[in-house]
Amino acid sequence: MPDMHIDLTRRRFVGACSAALAALLVFRRDALALSIPPHPTPRPGITAARVLTKQQLAATPKLIPLFDSVRAIPQIIDGIRCNCGCTDPPLFYSLLSCYEGNGMARDCFICQGQARLAVRLHKEGKSLAQIRAAIDAKFG
Amino acid sequence: MMFRLALLASVALPLPLVAQIRASEIGTISQTIDGTTLTVEYSRPRARGRDPLFGTKAVQWNEVWTPGANWATTLDVSRNLKLNGRPVAKGKYSVWMVVKQKGDWTVVLDPKVRQFHMEHPDSTVTQIRFPAKVDAVPFTEVLTWSMPDLRIGGGKLVMQWERARVVMDVEVEPSLVTTLPAGDAKPYLGQYTFTEQDSTGKPGKVSAFTVTHEDGTLKGRWTPDDPYMKKFALVRIAPDWFAPGVYDEKGQIYEVLKPDVVVEFTRTNGRVAGFVMRLQDDNLWGTATRK
Repeated sequence: MPDMHIDLTRRRFVGACSAALAALLVFRRDALALSIPPHPTPRPGITAARVLTKQQLAATPKLIPLFDSVRAIPQIIDGIRCNCGCTDPPLFYSLLSCYEGNGMARDCFICQGQARLAVRLHKEGKSLAQIRAAIDAKFG
Repeated sequence: MMFRLALLASVALPLPLVAQIRASEIGTISQTIDGTTLTVEYSRPRARGRDPLFGTKAVQWNEVWTPGANWATTLDVSRNLKLNGRPVAKGKYSVWMVVKQKGDWTVVLDPKVRQFHMEHPDSTVTQIRFPAKVDAVPFTEVLTWSMPDLRIGGGKLVMQWERARVVMDVEVEPSLVTTLPAGDAKPYLGQYTFTEQDSTGKPGKVSAFTVTHEDGTLKGRWTPDDPYMKKFALVRIAPDWFAPGVYDEKGQIYEVLKPDVVVEFTRTNGRVAGFVMRLQDDNLWGTATRK
């Protein structure tokens, strides 16, 4: 009886390991297959408090106006997926994340281009849905 | 609790690599074409002095043979595509070939993936079967899958071993339509004056720009020619927005410059009055007005 118990336990163990591993692999495959994830939903109450400031952009003064433009419409920029391929949740939630923290938008033309396009279209009165469609057409 | 910890450890810790010397080492080729990825995984047998191979005990004529060794060669396609004109749905298949002494071989894609090479599958309705041309080529020692030919809409998938080269034409679903109906093209046709501008907005070089409709495609061209783009396709990506498609020496589009350059036509009272060209960072490259 003890042997049978050990045997059953081993089977359960191996079975559980296989299932867990398979689940991980399937998740990874699905994640890789989704080359274009959906646009994120803007987080309620999102602010631009973490967008890099003029002082933090002292080394790249030409980009200060762009960061200021992003700072003005965080609720829009937070609803846009970043297409540069360098972003991974949870550190990066949306295009807004590229303008926060280490400010990768300082070095990335895609991040800059997406935000400039979003700002430009927002000034033209376009909705978030229309801005997303334009982003997808150019950067998708 | 111990069981859970052991389970967690077994999943979280990397497995030790096990070295094994194999007669047919495992190989993989993977190619992405316009967002569709094809992956062939196979064991690679060597001829090892066996010449010929086909029509012998190694691979008999009319055998349903997997072009590999050990576990059947697999083909994984990330989106629907066509092989030799035959639709192949997104998914993974084991790959087999009916080896013929004369004429085309028959390629068999079986949705049952995990099969050993000696399990030669019977014909089923779920299989995809199509003929493939076999070329005679110089001797190839190691069975090799490759994609030596690529174009924007597909390429050639090739299996080569001994003196046989089996070629399959790959056709992927295009992400963009490069042609434009004449009626849709008409509003954009004409002559424009294009003025480049630098990063400060200061105007620079002025040149003529012509939009034409040829062979069902909207095309743009500077005078004098831009040395890289020459006469290029204007590929519609959104209403009034186009991306340049650059042609090779055979007149085939080989690159669509998206998001590098986008041509945004502007309208006044509904009529196309000009366009702006914007770069990847959305800054202006230049502005054009209709002559």
